[in-house]
Amino acid sequence: MRGGALPLFAWGALLLVLLALNWIWTGDAIQVGSFAFAALVIIAGGALLALRSREALRGGPPRVSRTRESVPQTSFAAVLVGLSVGAILFGLTFGRFIVYFGAGMLVISLGRLALELRAERASRRGTQDGPQDTGGSARAGEGRPG
Amino acid sequence: MVQVGLLAPPGALVDTRHEYDHLFSIYVPIAVAVFALVVLAIGFAVLRYSRRAPSQAARWHEHNRLEGGYALALALVVVFLLYLTFSAEHRVDTVAAHERPALTVDVTGAKWEWQFYYPAYGITARSGTVGRQPLVVPVGEAIRFNVSTIDVIHAFWIPQLRYKRDLIPGTTESATLLFDRAGSFPGQCAEFCGLRHADMVFTVRAVNPAQFAAWARAGGKGVPS
Amino acid sequence: MTTAAPAVHGPTRIPGVLGALTSTDHKRIGLNLGLLSLVFFLVGGLFALLMRAQIAQPDVQFVSDQTYSQLFTMHGSTMIYLFVTPMALAMALYLVPLQIGAVSLAGPRLALIGFWIWLSGGLVMQSGWLTGDGAGRDGWFAYEPLANGTNTPGVGQDMWVIGVMLAALGMTAMAACVAATIARRRAPGMALLRMPVFTWTALVSVLMVVASFPVLILAMSLMYIDRHGGHIFSGFNGAIDYQDLFWFFGHPVVYVMFFPYLGAAAEVVAVCSHKRWFGHTAFVASIMAFAALSMSVWAHHMFTTGGVTNQYFAFTSTALVVPAGIEYFDMVGTMVGGSIVLRTSMLFALMFFIQFLIGGLSGIFLASPVLDYHVEDSYVVIAHFHYTLFAGSVFGFFAGVYHWFPKVTGAHLRDSWGRIHLVLLAVGTNLTFFPMFFLGQDGMPRRISRYPAHPGWGTLNLLESIGAGIIALGVLSFLVNVVVSLRRRQPAGDDPWQGHTLEWATSSPPPAYNFELPLPPIRSYAPLLDRRHEQLDRAGASP
Ligand SMILES: [Cu+2]
Ligand SMILES: [Cu+2]
Repeated sequence: MRGGALPLFAWGALLLVLLALNWIWTGDAIQVGSFAFAALVIIAGGALLALRSREALRGGPPRVSRTRESVPQTSFAAVLVGLSVGAILFGLTFGRFIVYFGAGMLVISLGRLALELRAERASRRGTQDGPQDTGGSARAGEGRPG
Repeated sequence: MVQVGLLAPPGALVDTRHEYDHLFSIYVPIAVAVFALVVLAIGFAVLRYSRRAPSQAARWHEHNRLEGGYALALALVVVFLLYLTFSAEHRVDTVAAHERPALTVDVTGAKWEWQFYYPAYGITARSGTVGRQPLVVPVGEAIRFNVSTIDVIHAFWIPQLRYKRDLIPGTTESATLLFDRAGSFPGQCAEFCGLRHADMVFTVRAVNPAQFAAWARAGGKGVPS
Repeated sequence: MTTAAPAVHGPTRIPGVLGALTSTDHKRIGLNLGLLSLVFFLVGGLFALLMRAQIAQPDVQFVSDQTYSQLFTMHGSTMIYLFVTPMALAMALYLVPLQIGAVSLAGPRLALIGFWIWLSGGLVMQSGWLTGDGAGRDGWFAYEPLANGTNTPGVGQDMWVIGVMLAALGMTAMAACVAATIARRRAPGMALLRMPVFTWTALVSVLMVVASFPVLILAMSLMYIDRHGGHIFSGFNGAIDYQDLFWFFGHPVVYVMFFPYLGAAAEVVAVCSHKRWFGHTAFVASIMAFAALSMSVWAHHMFTTGGVTNQYFAFTSTALVVPAGIEYFDMVGTMVGGSIVLRTSMLFALMFFIQFLIGGLSGIFLASPVLDYHVEDSYVVIAHFHYTLFAGSVFGFFAGVYHWFPKVTGAHLRDSWGRIHLVLLAVGTNLTFFPMFFLGQDGMPRRISRYPAHPGWGTLNLLESIGAGIIALGVLSFLVNVVVSLRRRQPAGDDPWQGHTLEWATSSPPPAYNFELPLPPIRSYAPLLDRRHEQLDRAGASP
């Protein structure tokens, strides 16, 4: 985590400089708009990291951390989510029924994904004293974020 | 330092081919020199440092002052190139647009043909999938082309003049060009515009002003030789 | 000093293909993405060969005009959306967590979702071939109004639009995961400026992806609506707006297709010189500036439209000379004073730098509006970007393959086949792409399926087509090398090259959680080299 937001802010600042130059030099609404969007995404990403942990704003090497992060092994639900998004958009060109099929699949797979994430959170709470098998596909591991 | 101003005496008509060739003749040697320098540096490093034990490899790995100075030198090169480019662009885009044209031609692109209309003479010539009537122009005069399209984007390109201009729907753009010698100049649509894009070609026939006048008086009949 | 791997051992995985396809392990996702990108590379290469057959000689008709337009569209689209860009992400997904000493990817499920969305995009795009009017046929940038419903009707073009949208969406998701991993999962001691060169190039690339790809998704969505009755991109403003949106993605992606390969070649040069990468801090600063500048050069693709402020874009585009010059300086600085071993990977890396330079230098010409007025949309442009993308990035990719193959598989690639691969590819590449500079300068436009017998054009085009065949042989020799090397394995060990970075501090291939042994202390961007130097010094101190 340590310093994670710094490159985003640094790069975002560079984008802002070039954006300002673009604004002054061209004054083109679409150009300034898309450029501003890009800068915003990067700066918002940095802000998000900083909000989660103030560490993200501090320089220097990350230290050993005690927080546990879960490391899933496999996720059927994620595969299904990806495929159903593909199916929905493919259906637009091929036939309505695939859109409906994909939408149905998306709902189911998002549900499964939620279950997976919940099992994972439960297992993380359960492993405060050490790792244990939760029977699900998710596994808790000791992540080492800074 | 190259005296850019001297190369285009005031009052002379802007010649796109000349502008291009001049700029090109400065860019090319720089590019070739940089390429040669880098290849030599790599070659030197490989020959000099490839027969040593790994333990002999040096451990220094930074020299920020040197890199800063080098970056500054590169920035100066950038400034130099931009100076040349901006002055050439100023002539091609701005100075040429202010010239008084001796002839105006309305160029209309369509899938997949060119229509050249001479408003002063009421003459129309067409080329592309419909036929091969040439675009006849006088030599040595500024000619204003008003380019537009009725369907998709095309591009009006005359390679020998080193110039092209996109034809964008909903607008008419103009370009002022100069043909510095008599003869044929092939032209072609440069922006992909669909199935028969390859056939969207034309030929410019540049003739001396007297011949042009005769051709125009005759209502554009025949091709002056 | 540093902690060991996490306390999780031997979890039950789903075995076999199903397990490989649903795995959230970053190495598995990276490999899957890389392997499929490679398949798309072969497909896109096949399209190129068919094109080169059609235009090998003037005035022949080997494929129809309609097919030709599909071939160049799908060649470009396949190579950009389905090979070079995703391959860059694949390398980042596989290597970045290893290089920063992370146990896993941040957001592994999102990365997996992204992979499957990208793959659906690839399949949707290619399935256009099966429709009545064929695959997409408006070029990889599909300008409006040519690409609207009136001028290009048909399901095939719709599938292209949807395919691009999906591919971009999937890649954005995967890129976000790489960025989050770098932000949140660095090992203790791995300060930002201790991240290896490749990780830095991957970081700026994924930032460019998340900043610019959404704009492409927007452009494609609007185009889809436009194709189905909406009037979004009409008139002059519509045409220019589309180009602005498209190139706002279209130029940054060019650098996403460059930076990680630059990073790979840089790692190879450093390791094969037994010397750490020169000027790391300057490199980091310059790559950040490089990436930011390359977000602001996009309208150099629009100099001839009369709809943009040429000077701003000429300025930013020419300014790229400065950071690019720094990268080359650092490359030479790394080799000087080193102990160079000319492995196959090193030869590919050096070819990457030399050949990319031709692309880069010709790019400076294209950054000048006056020069661009002539060469825009001509074969000069084709030559230019193939020198950057093929002669550049693909050589950097192969440098990376020869370098990291032992890490990924535990076996060496054959050097003998590697040299054949290199020579064929280098000869073929230059034979194919160098004559294009002359053709373009002489007035040959891109994307024409037929051309008249102008003096010299037939000969040059024939040479190019022969070159394309030689490239194909080169790629074939690479595939043979992979098959031979995997069939009769020459075990490589964990650290065959005396690597500098953490991926060489684990087994080959790395275990599920990347590191089973404690990490070496991380005090610089080359922790393994530090350790080697310490050992040398200790040995020297007590002879
Ligand atoms: Cu056209
Ligand atoms: Cu570009």
